[in-house]
Amino acid sequence: MSRTAGSDRRRGEGDRAQLDQLLEDDPADLYENAPCGYLSTLPDGTIVKVNQTLCSWLGRPAERVLRTRLRDLLSVGGQVFHDTHLAPLLRMQGAVREVALDVVRDDGSVLPCLVNAVELRDPEGRPVLVRATLFEATARRRYEREILTAHRAAELSEARSRTLQQVVVQLAGATSVADVAGVVVQQARSALRSRGAALLLVVPGPAGSDGDADGVVRRSELVVARSDGLPAALLDQLATAADGRIALELAEGLRVVVPDERLHGRRPELAAALESAELQALVVVPVSADTRRLGVLLLGQGSSGADDLIDLDEPRDGVLSDGDVDLLWTLGRQAGQALERARLHEETTRQAARSAFLLHAARQMAAAAGVGETVDRLSELAVPRLADVCMLDLVTQHGARRVLARHGDPARQHLVDDLLEWAPPARELPFPARRALAEGRTQWFSAPDDAWLVSVVRDPRELAGVRALELASIVSVPLVAEGRSLGVLTLSADRRRGAFTAADVEVVEQLAHQVSLVLAKAQRYELESRTSHTLQATLLPPHPPAVPGMTVAVRYLAATSGVEIGGDFYDVATLPGDHVAIAVGDVVGHDITAAATMGQLRSVYRALLVEAPAPSAVIDRLQASWPLLGLQRMATALFATLDLPTGLLHVASAGHPPPLLIVDGRAEYLPVAPSRMLGAPPAPAVEWSGVVPPGATLLLYTDGLVESRTSDLDTGLARLQVAAERWAAVGADELCDRLLAELAGAHRADDIALLALTRDA
Amino acid sequence: MVFAHGYGCDQNMWRFITPDFEVDHQVVTFDHVGFGHSDLSAYDPVKYNSLHGYAADVVEVMRDLELTDAVFVGHSVSAMIGVLAHAQAPELFGALVMVGPSARYVDDGDYVGGFSRAQIKDLLDNLDANHLGWSAAIAPVIMGNPDRPELAAELTNSFCRTDPDVARQFARVSFLSDNRADLPGVDVPTLVLQCSEDVIAPETAGRYVHEHIPGSTFTQLSATGHCPHLSAPEETTAAIRAWT
Repeated sequence: MSRTAGSDRRRGEGDRAQLDQLLEDDPADLYENAPCGYLSTLPDGTIVKVNQTLCSWLGRPAERVLRTRLRDLLSVGGQVFHDTHLAPLLRMQGAVREVALDVVRDDGSVLPCLVNAVELRDPEGRPVLVRATLFEATARRRYEREILTAHRAAELSEARSRTLQQVVVQLAGATSVADVAGVVVQQARSALRSRGAALLLVVPGPAGSDGDADGVVRRSELVVARSDGLPAALLDQLATAADGRIALELAEGLRVVVPDERLHGRRPELAAALESAELQALVVVPVSADTRRLGVLLLGQGSSGADDLIDLDEPRDGVLSDGDVDLLWTLGRQAGQALERARLHEETTRQAARSAFLLHAARQMAAAAGVGETVDRLSELAVPRLADVCMLDLVTQHGARRVLARHGDPARQHLVDDLLEWAPPARELPFPARRALAEGRTQWFSAPDDAWLVSVVRDPRELAGVRALELASIVSVPLVAEGRSLGVLTLSADRRRGAFTAADVEVVEQLAHQVSLVLAKAQRYELESRTSHTLQATLLPPHPPAVPGMTVAVRYLAATSGVEIGGDFYDVATLPGDHVAIAVGDVVGHDITAAATMGQLRSVYRALLVEAPAPSAVIDRLQASWPLLGLQRMATALFATLDLPTGLLHVASAGHPPPLLIVDGRAEYLPVAPSRMLGAPPAPAVEWSGVVPPGATLLLYTDGLVESRTSDLDTGLARLQVAAERWAAVGADELCDRLLAELAGAHRADDIALLALTRDA
Repeated sequence: MVFAHGYGCDQNMWRFITPDFEVDHQVVTFDHVGFGHSDLSAYDPVKYNSLHGYAADVVEVMRDLELTDAVFVGHSVSAMIGVLAHAQAPELFGALVMVGPSARYVDDGDYVGGFSRAQIKDLLDNLDANHLGWSAAIAPVIMGNPDRPELAAELTNSFCRTDPDVARQFARVSFLSDNRADLPGVDVPTLVLQCSEDVIAPETAGRYVHEHIPGSTFTQLSATGHCPHLSAPEETTAAIRAWT
């Protein structure tokens, strides 16, 4: 035990001696081989003392370090830091601590160090010497760099989150596609510090207007919704070349297009456009909502920033950081959703405006009477509000007929007039209208180029006319109602207005639908009206024959509402033996049935005249045969015969108002006893006889002249009597006119037949 | 006389110079926003992304103090800030003293600014690695205790402390600006003080400034480095006095 203890003690003593020796070591050795670098400089930085440790770190002997300056040992950044921070600090506060500097070794490699230094001053405070210690700090600097890198990444990520937050907030307030495009373009551009940015959107295009007559498929087009800082030539290249397929192909994923050899080989125009825009890369970001591809966001990455600072960044070869890619993907999706929202909002607003317009149009056209007025109203509605040129072709039994060709600008109306003038109505329709009619569906042509015009015109003269119109868009919509093709509505927009949109076309279609309904109704009404006219014309009483020894005047006025003929009639026929047969009648009602009944009644009466029956006999026979005739209405009638040489008059009445005889300025109703109306249960007719003196006038009429809604029959008869006496001397013709003017209002509820016979004096 | 500190530290850099001029001049020194005891909350990364932002501050300070016919002494990048401030409000300025100026630090064709693009990149990286700055989070605590100045005094390297973000942007703005086109607009007497062996603003840069400011005076100092007002205050003061 003790030996062991003694030997331990001895060993402890030996260690102590060794330690003492080390502790008493040469201070020079301690300086030279200290675990840090030492150096001393003059105030101007000239190194006057350096230890071995630092020399070995530097890889050069002391003599090659002495007389150089501390600054000369440093990297460029270190030199600047030395001059701008370390040296000033030493002067101002006499010491610096833990300044990070990179020392450059003899072999060019860099040794990260931390430097502490003190400035020694003379009693007057003037600098004499600077002593500095340098500690190797490779691991610490690496650690700090990692922290710095992480810090930077966090900052970038925070900046991205901020961008996205701003985007979300701003997009929430964007109610139009233009607003959305503005936000997305501006935010993306500033987030990626792009030279320029643009948003291209997919819009449905019109049917092919490139001369491909069968290409009715609606193509998608790319249009620039917003562009900021990208040259038009580049956008044009992407949006229109190959129908925008390039941009859409690119938008399959987030792509970076670099104008390299490969692009020059495959898409030389695009590569050239990128280079002339001095862009290093074009970033293409798909903009979509769910699976719907709505467009592309383009970012042009250049080499110089937006600020007025010199940019040190090397061309990045279009490589985006993962963070950038994430940001852009999210931006594309956010933009897509916002676009859909904005479109919905815009569509709602547009729909409201469209509905208001169509409602207005419907009211206007519903109030139109007949085809002509409908066409007028249509032209007022369509141009210039919807289009510049409005043409309407109607199908008739003789082929298509152009009933409307109007230009919204009166100064250019002559252009469409010229087109009408050379194209006779019976010729085949212009191409768009022809195809719309043939296929029974809308034809929409946008941006018709000259080659297309040449291919579709019917005549070189038409070509000149159409060219002069400078059309940008044509829509032809067939007018179909009740399964019938009524015609074609063709609206065109010229270059000043720009092409129609899909929404415009929809409005045109709806307007055409309204026109179809109104036209169909108007045409049906006009057809009925024409038919009725023709039939009525055959039913109207013929003009009376000339009667020797008498002046005969007749008038027939239909009621002012409804059809233009009623159930009233008159008839004058000369019979053998200087007799004339006179009749006036009134079938109940004043519609087409009354007119038909009247026609039949008159025919039967004429047939009876063959036997020259007495007036009472006429009534008896008509009464007797009434059931056989199957006439639907009852009638009143007055039949008379007049012996021309003597003026002997026989009259019989079937429920009809009495005739008026005007003699020497006095008018008297003849006391003809009326028997029952025709069609009522038969009763024998009573006949009255008397003489019409020379110069006297016999007036026969129907109750429309004496009866009105406001006065009874007796009052009417009295008024007629007074009026007849007042105008007794004017002659048969004028008498009729005067009586009608005085007694028949402008609005008649009933028909009027009036017959005046004046016996020559 | 208005003294504007340059890239690096704060107005303390003028401490060996100003006592001499205070004898016969009204002397104004200040810290650019983001430096020294300036109000960090006034820092706006957009405004200060260009030297014009700093120049606007100089004009504001001078107008506020109702200075006219002032001698503006600008060190390093502040020499150019003086040129821009003069362009904004010529009526305030009587003369410019440019200490170690450079209108552009990066070489450009025949122009020798002293740094290649790669060197400037290395420089900016290196400046990032130093931690003389305090964080913006700590600054208000120090600034908000004016009754306890020892708080600030306790901090090492305090004269060159800057918020790291401000320092980084100021370095970028200082070393990446190109203000050569602004020089011919200077129409007040101008003195260019050129140091010897200045790696930051080499003689070619100083000569360029002199040659492009009409009627300017060029004085070569024997002082070495970039801060003659610290390393050789007597020579610097004498050169300014000799000119005025």
